Amino acid sequence: MSRHLDAGARARRLLALLPHLRKGDRIPLAELAAAVGCTAEEVAADLTTLTMCGIPPFSPLELVALDIDGDAVSVYMDPPGLERPLRLTVGEARALNAALDVAGYAPDSPLRQRIQEVCSGSVSLEDLERTVRAGTMPGGMAETYARLAVAAEDHEKVRIAYYTGATGRVSERIVHPWALVQRLGVWYLIAWCEAAGQERVFRLDRVREIERLGVRFTPPSGVSTAVTPDISTLPCAEVVFAPGVRLPDDRQWPGATYEPRDDGSTAVRIPYQSPSWISRRVIAYLGHAEVTGPPEVRGAVHALAADLLRKVQ
Amino acid sequence: MKVPDSSERLVNLALLLASCPRPLTAEQCRSAGLGYPVGQDDAAFIRMFERDKDALRAAGLVIDVTGDGDIEAYRLNAEATYARPVKLAADEVAAVRAVASALADDPGFPFRDDLVFALGKLGTAGTEGSLATTELVKDEASAGRTLDARALAEAVQTRKTVTFDYTNAAGESRHRTVDPYGVFFREGIWYVTGRDRDVDTIKTFAVSRIRHLDVNPSRPRTPDFDRPESFDVREHELLPFQIGPASATARIRFEPDAAWRAPGLARGRGALDDLPDGSVVWTVPVADFGRLASWLVDEGPGLLPVEPPELLTVMSDGLRAVVAAHE
Repeated sequence: MSRHLDAGARARRLLALLPHLRKGDRIPLAELAAAVGCTAEEVAADLTTLTMCGIPPFSPLELVALDIDGDAVSVYMDPPGLERPLRLTVGEARALNAALDVAGYAPDSPLRQRIQEVCSGSVSLEDLERTVRAGTMPGGMAETYARLAVAAEDHEKVRIAYYTGATGRVSERIVHPWALVQRLGVWYLIAWCEAAGQERVFRLDRVREIERLGVRFTPPSGVSTAVTPDISTLPCAEVVFAPGVRLPDDRQWPGATYEPRDDGSTAVRIPYQSPSWISRRVIAYLGHAEVTGPPEVRGAVHALAADLLRKVQ
Repeated sequence: MKVPDSSERLVNLALLLASCPRPLTAEQCRSAGLGYPVGQDDAAFIRMFERDKDALRAAGLVIDVTGDGDIEAYRLNAEATYARPVKLAADEVAAVRAVASALADDPGFPFRDDLVFALGKLGTAGTEGSLATTELVKDEASAGRTLDARALAEAVQTRKTVTFDYTNAAGESRHRTVDPYGVFFREGIWYVTGRDRDVDTIKTFAVSRIRHLDVNPSRPRTPDFDRPESFDVREHELLPFQIGPASATARIRFEPDAAWRAPGLARGRGALDDLPDGSVVWTVPVADFGRLASWLVDEGPGLLPVEPPELLTVMSDGLRAVVAAHE
């Protein structure tokens, strides 16, 4: 969708295009559009504008010389200046730092240290790290993220050692990494699991080890980015929360429905995948939440709470 | 002759400064045919020229000012403007490309536009289909607040005082005047930490609860306050059981099978000690034993409280209540 940009923002995009325009190149518009974050139509309009830019005396030899032909642009001369990438501004360095935060790169990671080399002299990465944090992953996750990202990009199978919270066990699986999805601060891998013979969702912070197998897979044509199962197919448990208790939100209990009661308590119907999953969530309320049904969930809560109590005492 | 639009004039000025080996005065730029209006009065031209230089600086050009008597001249500082190529490993390129393509499409990420330009400069932008997606905040209303998060991040960097209406968790609303020191993101919500001028205390505010945000518009290039040198926003990203005045220290044991999770769950807080049996003991400041006990259950199995006794009592009492309610 075309966006209205003020002159400064548009000029910034025009200037960002210049280093990509090398004499003799024929460049797909889509490639340039991706490089500067706009549509192919917008980049075509930008290139047309650039043909009117140059330096005095603005003869054909001092103008940006190119020709748009269909879905590509042919470049006849190097631009008359600004043909190299510029250093990162404070805003760009902040954005990149925040993105690397989200991907789990710690401030002292070699990648983030190297970013300093391309920053403008007015940028202090140390200052940015002390003032802006977009980190959502636990520490040490960058390697997991990077290895899965490269495997997904290369369509390469991986063997993962995966920790299952409900059981506390680590199991090995061969998966086809399709996509990485981050939802409300938690990263997930959406993958085909060979052992299960179906699509599975794995939390990245529970992937203990990754081994690339050097074997390619054929990616599906479309991958759903949903990280929660179709709740309409799941059984529901009913849990009553005591008055005044902070109720779980949609991130913690996807698909839950709430019914306030006259005594101030709240009855919540919660779709669940396994009794062991919901048991731990209910027990975490330490007596301020009670499962009223079904019996299999009540029993699971009782058994797990009793086991935990033995370990704590 | 066609009159160039403003963006053409800006590109022309940038190209002129980049290609000219000697400093140029404003008047030389004006008369170079870059697109400054013919017949424009001098004061209007100077204002336009200043805005143009600011716009080019915002794009990353470093323009040095040299003086010869009363007349200033301008030249591109090539060393400070152009980036040296950065070599990234294949996994770094893949990771940056994946996370950036996801964030560039996520309305919950406040720095999307700048991120696209950063990637273009790094040469990591790509045309690959989306390998990753992100959904940082949970609904459109929260996504709308990311504009405030961006404005606050900008105010942090430029050290400008902000005012806003804030409704706290108890539903009480008040107008606040704050010197913003840092912003951070946690579990679907952006926060700003800064000095609340009315009470002279450092506080943290959820951006989702902020309305009518204003950044002090006067003297935009002059900071309104000094940030304390020791300030580090990471110290304000607390774990759920650390919210409130810190009152105690707890020790948590990660059993050997769960020890590998300790660094991730600790998030850099407290100290981790490896024991000979393969377990890890985490010593961490705590403000609320009840919330810590809940957190231990939620993040388990394999996490057990060691001390202080109050923590064990809170957890045991809670678990007994659960057992009794589900007999």
